[in-house]
Parts: sequence; C-alpha cells; structure tokens
Amino acid sequence: MKGERKLNKNFMKIFEAHGINRRDFLKYCSATAALFGLSELDFTTRFAHAVETASSKPPVIWLEGQDCAGCTISFLGISNPPVASIILDKISLRYHETAMAASGYQAEEAYSETMKKGGYVLIVEGSVPSADDRYCMIGGRPFRKILEEAAKNAAAIIAVGACATYGGIPAATPTKGIGLNKALPGKTVINLPTCPVHPDHIAGTVLYFLTTGKVPELDTIGRPTMYFREVIHDNCRRRAHFDAGQFLTDWNDPKQRDWCMLQKGCKGPITTSDCPVRRWNNGINFCIDCGAVCMGCAEPGFYAQMTPLYTAESETSKKILAMREAGMFKKKA
Amino acid sequence: MGKKIKIDPVTRIEGHLSIEVEIEDGKVKDAWSSGTMARGFEALLTGKDPRDASYITSRFCGVCYSVHQMASARALDAAFGAKVPWGGSLIRNLVMGAEFIYDHPLHFYQLTALDYIDIMAIANYSGKDKELLAVKDKILSLVKSKDTYPLTPRYEPDEFTVKDPDTVISAVKHYLKALKMHAHARNMGAIWGGRTPHYQNIVVGGVTSYPDINQVARFRTMLDEQKKFIEEIYIPDVLTFGTGPLWPLAQMGVGGGHYNYLSYGGLEKDAEGKELVFPAGVIVGLDPANIKVSPVDQNMISESVHYAWYKEKEPVHPYNGEQVFNLDKKGAYTFIKAPRYNGKPMEVGPLARMIVAGNKDVMGLVEKGAKPGAVARHAARAVETKLVVDACYKWLDQLMTEMTKPGFKIHDTDHWEPPDSGMGAGFYEPPRGALGHWIKIKDKKIENYQAIVPSTWNASPRCENGVRGQYEESLIGAPVPDPKNPINVVRVIRSFDPCLACAVHIIDPKTNEIHKFIIE
Repeated sequence: MKGERKLNKNFMKIFEAHGINRRDFLKYCSATAALFGLSELDFTTRFAHAVETASSKPPVIWLEGQDCAGCTISFLGISNPPVASIILDKISLRYHETAMAASGYQAEEAYSETMKKGGYVLIVEGSVPSADDRYCMIGGRPFRKILEEAAKNAAAIIAVGACATYGGIPAATPTKGIGLNKALPGKTVINLPTCPVHPDHIAGTVLYFLTTGKVPELDTIGRPTMYFREVIHDNCRRRAHFDAGQFLTDWNDPKQRDWCMLQKGCKGPITTSDCPVRRWNNGINFCIDCGAVCMGCAEPGFYAQMTPLYTAESETSKKILAMREAGMFKKKA
Repeated sequence: MGKKIKIDPVTRIEGHLSIEVEIEDGKVKDAWSSGTMARGFEALLTGKDPRDASYITSRFCGVCYSVHQMASARALDAAFGAKVPWGGSLIRNLVMGAEFIYDHPLHFYQLTALDYIDIMAIANYSGKDKELLAVKDKILSLVKSKDTYPLTPRYEPDEFTVKDPDTVISAVKHYLKALKMHAHARNMGAIWGGRTPHYQNIVVGGVTSYPDINQVARFRTMLDEQKKFIEEIYIPDVLTFGTGPLWPLAQMGVGGGHYNYLSYGGLEKDAEGKELVFPAGVIVGLDPANIKVSPVDQNMISESVHYAWYKEKEPVHPYNGEQVFNLDKKGAYTFIKAPRYNGKPMEVGPLARMIVAGNKDVMGLVEKGAKPGAVARHAARAVETKLVVDACYKWLDQLMTEMTKPGFKIHDTDHWEPPDSGMGAGFYEPPRGALGHWIKIKDKKIENYQAIVPSTWNASPRCENGVRGQYEESLIGAPVPDPKNPINVVRVIRSFDPCLACAVHIIDPKTNEIHKFIIE
C-alpha cells in the first residue's frame, strides 16, 4: 500500500533522529520472534498522524489505578537501554504520577492537554475498582472515568502488571478490582502481566510499537507471543527432577536445592512466560532460582486460583497434579 | 478564613495522596491529608492460608517492596512458633539492606531533588567538565525541542531554590547516576530475593534461598560499588544542600510537626538480637537539650477512625481492629486511619530513628541550629543509609562463617505447617519507618489481619479529639507567599517519603452513593 510505505518511512526518520534504530529494537526484544505475526491495526494511521502533528517525541501517558507502583519501579530498573535515555530521549513522558515534576493542577493540565491531542501510547498500571468508583479517586475524579477518557484517543494501550491486565490481587478484594480486559471492553489492549511487569516486556513492546506502528502478535488473552510463548515448566532447569519425581521438601537440604517445587505449590507447569530464559534484574535471578515457587502471576487466574500459594492444594495445583497423573507433561521430542 | 488550596494528586510519591491547606498571611494555617485509593488487602486475607500473607502483603507497596513481606513473616514466625535460624535471618537482613540502599537515594534524587533545584540554571553552566557539558547539552536539547516532559511543568523556583549552575548541574548528573545505582542495588537484592520489586524468598520460618559462596562474593562486590556512591556522592550531596543553600529552611524548621518520634527498633546485628542497627524508643515533645527516650510498649498503640471512611468505633488496638467501611460518613476525609501511641500522634521514619538513637551526625546538625523538619529528614535518611551499608558488610562476614558450619540452616522446617490457632505481631523498621503487622489464626486460617504502616502514622488524619496527624501538623506555618505556587507544601510532604498505597486498608462497601469530598 502506497500510504503505508510513506508512513513507515516517516516513522523511521523520526525514530532514527531520536536514537531508536532497528538494532536497538532487535537487541531488545528477542529478534526472531519479534518479526513474526505483525497484524494490521487501525490505530497505525492514527498514531502516524499524531507523531506528525504533535511534538517530535512520541507522547506517553502512564496512569496508575489500584496499584502499588511496583511496575513503575520495575521499569525504572532497566539498564539496557538505560531508563534515563528512554524517559528523556525516546519518549515524551507527559503524565506519570511517580516520576513527573508537576503536582496538582499542573499535573492535571499536562494530562488533559496531551489527552485532547491524542495519539499517545497509554500505559496503565493497577486495576479499576468495580465495586465502587470511590475506591480510587485521582484529582477528585474516579480513576475509571479517567481511564475511559484516556483510552479514547490513545494510539495504543498497554496494560502492565497482573492488576491492570486481569485484575490480579485486587480482584480478590472487596473492591473487586478489574483489569482493562473488563474495564475497556472492545478495545485492543496489549497485556503484559506478571507481578510486577518485566521491564524488558514494557520497553520492548513500546519500542516495537514505535518502530513498526503496529501491535506485536498477541496470544488469545492479549499477551505478546514474543514474551509469552512457552510455559515456564518447559524451560525450567528443575524439570528433570519433576520428571524423576524428586520434589523439594526441606529448603535446608543442599541435596534438594535444585529439586522440583511442585509440593511447595509451584505453578510453573501451567504458567506461560519467558521468566526462566529472560530472567529478572538484568539476568541475575528469577523466582524459581531463589528457591521460591512460581506463583502463576502471568495468568488470569492469579491470585484467586493460585491460593493457597505454598502448598499443592490450590485449584491450579490440583489441575497440575491431575495433568501429571494423566501423563500430559511428557518432554517434547 | 484563609484561602484554601488543594494539591491533588501529590506526585513523585507512591500512591494517591491529596493535600488541602488553608493559607493566611502567606503561611499555612490548617491542613488536611487524604489518601484517595483503597484495595482492601486485609479483608482479602481473612480465611486464607496464613502463609499467603507474606506474599500478598508485599504487594501493599512496590516502592518499599518486601518490607511488608518481612514484617508479615515475623508476625507469622511468632504465630507459628517458628524460630528462624541465624542463617535465614542473615539472608533476610541482607536483602532488606539492599532495599534500603536502593530506596533512600531514589527518594532523594528521583522523588524530591526537583523541589529544591532550578533545573533550567544548567543553561548558565560555564565550566569545562566534559561530563557536565554532556548533561548541559542533554537538557538544552530538550529545551530546544520544546519538550521538557517530565521535568516540567513544575512549581516556580522560590528564594530557597538552588540556582547556582555548578551545584545544579552536578546534582542533575548525580540524578542520572543514581538511576543506574538504583538498578544495581536492586540486582544485589535479587541475588537471594529472586527478583525485585517484590522479593520471593522470604517465608514464615526463614528464607527459601540456600546461599553459595559465590553469591556472597558477588553481593560484596556490588556492595562496594554502592558504598562508594553513598559515601562519595549521596551523603556529600545531601550535606552540601542541607548545610548550604537549604540551611535557612533547616534553621526555620519548616515541616517540624508534633516533635513526637517512634521507632520499634530493628535490623539485628547478632543472633540474639541484643544489638540493633536502629534502637527502639519513643520520644514525646522533643527537647533537644534534654532528650528523653522511653521504651516501646505495643499495647499503647491504638487506631482512631473518627475522620476516616470507616464505621465509627472507639480507638482500639490493632489486634481488635475492625474493617467496616462507610463511604458516606459525615466529616470523614480519608481512607487512612489515625494510629496513636498512648493517644499521641507520632512521626516515624529516618528522622525519628536517628533522634531516638541519638545519632551524632544528625544531632550535630541540630546543635548547629537545624530544627527537626523537612531538611533534617533528608539528612537523617542519608546518614542511616551508611549505617545499613556498614551492617551489610558485617552480615556478609557472619553469613560466611555460618554457612561453612555443618548443619547450616536457613529455614525452620518443623514449623512450616500452620497451627490450629495462634496470634502474633511482627515489627520492623523499613526505610519509611515503624511498621507493624498483627495476625490472628483460627482453624489454620487467617481470622484477622491488620497492619499499621509507616505512612499510616505520618499521613494520618485527625483523631477523635481533633488532634492533627503528623503531615498535617508539619505543614502548619510553612511559608506559601503565592497560593498558586505552594512549593513548600510539597517539599514538606515529600520529605516524609510518602507511600500511600500501603497506608490504606479496607473493607466492605455498603453503599454506592457518591460521597462529595472535594472542598473548593
């Protein structure tokens, strides 16, 4: 398509001027997978319009609802590329309660100006209280209304963390927190679950969108397949012990140090995420390697279906045990 | 009646906070602090396996992550009758030490420095330092592109704002450096914590991460880098600011408050817990010339809900805390309860800890004429970061000794299963101050769970007697010559390092009517 070729050329020009080249992007978000399944989406055009008419850097609004700011902190810990270069050079961060200089009415003005112009990437952290709007008010207004309004003119919407994607822990509280899948029915939302979000998942998704103008390929529940493709179990280094039926019962026993933690409540066998491969904190570690179990935080059933967390008695653990009994975890050839 | 202004949202803090002040003759005459978000974690925990609590409560807050995991695990340890092996305690201390080392500098550089410097003064930098010129180029290029988000918009600089180009540019350079150091400190904690935010390894009875010698060496190497940054950059920066351009604010004691201080005490230096990095104590009505520290008695703690959106009840001890929500209560203005010690509001956090400990560096500033307030809070935070770094080295040495002994343990496996019934309290001194969790267990499940977190103490509303909370009291008298530019209000509030998500706990919605709580 003629229009599209022109569009992509414009994109690359703008982004190259701000230090985002293909190499940056490829280094970042797992090269091969990223090139698969680029779906055509309606907001491509809207986003292009936005970058051409607005400022030179793509605007980003980051909203926080019923959150703990853990996803913000997780993102701030990214080292490659350095977070300062993302915030100052690559994007124009118009609204972010935890990072912005402005407070009060200045903050609200920065938000409403950007919102009216449209064409921004909207990142949402935290759930929306469905029991009563008053459980989350910002600037005197319900968070739900702010979110609905911000979603209208967004070029892309990214839900970060377990709470914003599928409701997470607040879903099980009396405030009945819901994720964007329920709060914004009918909208295309890129879901980046896990509690907190993995910083690479955010940065890579944003760079992908800014570079291609497209949403990466998503699985049936809105997660980019470049990060959410295989179950943790299939890449777990304790897998051989699972197959051999060696289960950890005592954290003090050095012999059991690498044994499977199914009996301690590990949900790795049904949880889809690249944690064991990408690892966390710049590759230092991840849950299972510090002797802790996978809590299934990348799945919509987190937390309600995962409790009790530290035994094999949860709904999820029972399912895993039944699947094991039925021989459904045979190693792939 | 003075002019009322409202700052909502207060940004660069954790959580959703709204501050309203009444201004008369250029000064704050009255103040109201309001937490505007609630999730209801304690209600969620009722009926659950008690072991879930440490994992769930970690999610109270993602900035001071895992401090609740720690306090919760301690409450569970007490309720389960578990005795954490010294090896397990050492690993808990080390990952929490890493949390302090990440958290305090982050607060100074990323969350508060912009209140004290005129970032645009960088344009006047005339030196030749290559690194600083690179910083100048970066900021100027933002200005030229007419897009300086998120550094602007901002409140206008005032007479206390640092405008000297050399000081400002070096502060901005350190702002960027601090971002890197914060990531590195978090990597350090992840060596045993698994990942951050939200460590995974702290459970009832100890930890899950069996250490090896290489991990100890790795932690030590990363700690060396942090120590250098804290000693050579962070502490000097805070002192340069505090005793230089901000000295007048320090002398005026802007942000003082009630001068009541509470520290539960925490971070054991030895297996018996005889010596603590932060001693416990209570001070009521500080008199710097004659400091009287009393021992802490947790039975003196109560929570008032008179001005909070909860069903009215007499103040009670947290073990008997109730969680019935009333969004339509007349006169209520916050989701935050009002904890009191012996009926008195308290300040908790680094300044409280350093005054209770009689720390010579902080008390030295007081002797020179600084009054305890916003500036002193930043100084106390920097001073205690160094104490934690020093403690981490000792814990690493102790861990090496411990882990090479036969029968080394990290977990009390004999007390892993929940008791039929029990109760326990867990206290801790995380970065933002005194933290307590209380649990009651019945039929192996959680019967009641309550937490009083640091920001509940500091951000509390008035109690039933109308006595203001610490944020509110500390704002009284703060200079606000221009109501459109209430920069001193946010300076005072941010000096506490607010963490609101964790300060709010609830409950059960009874009605869906919209409560009008905006007062213009």
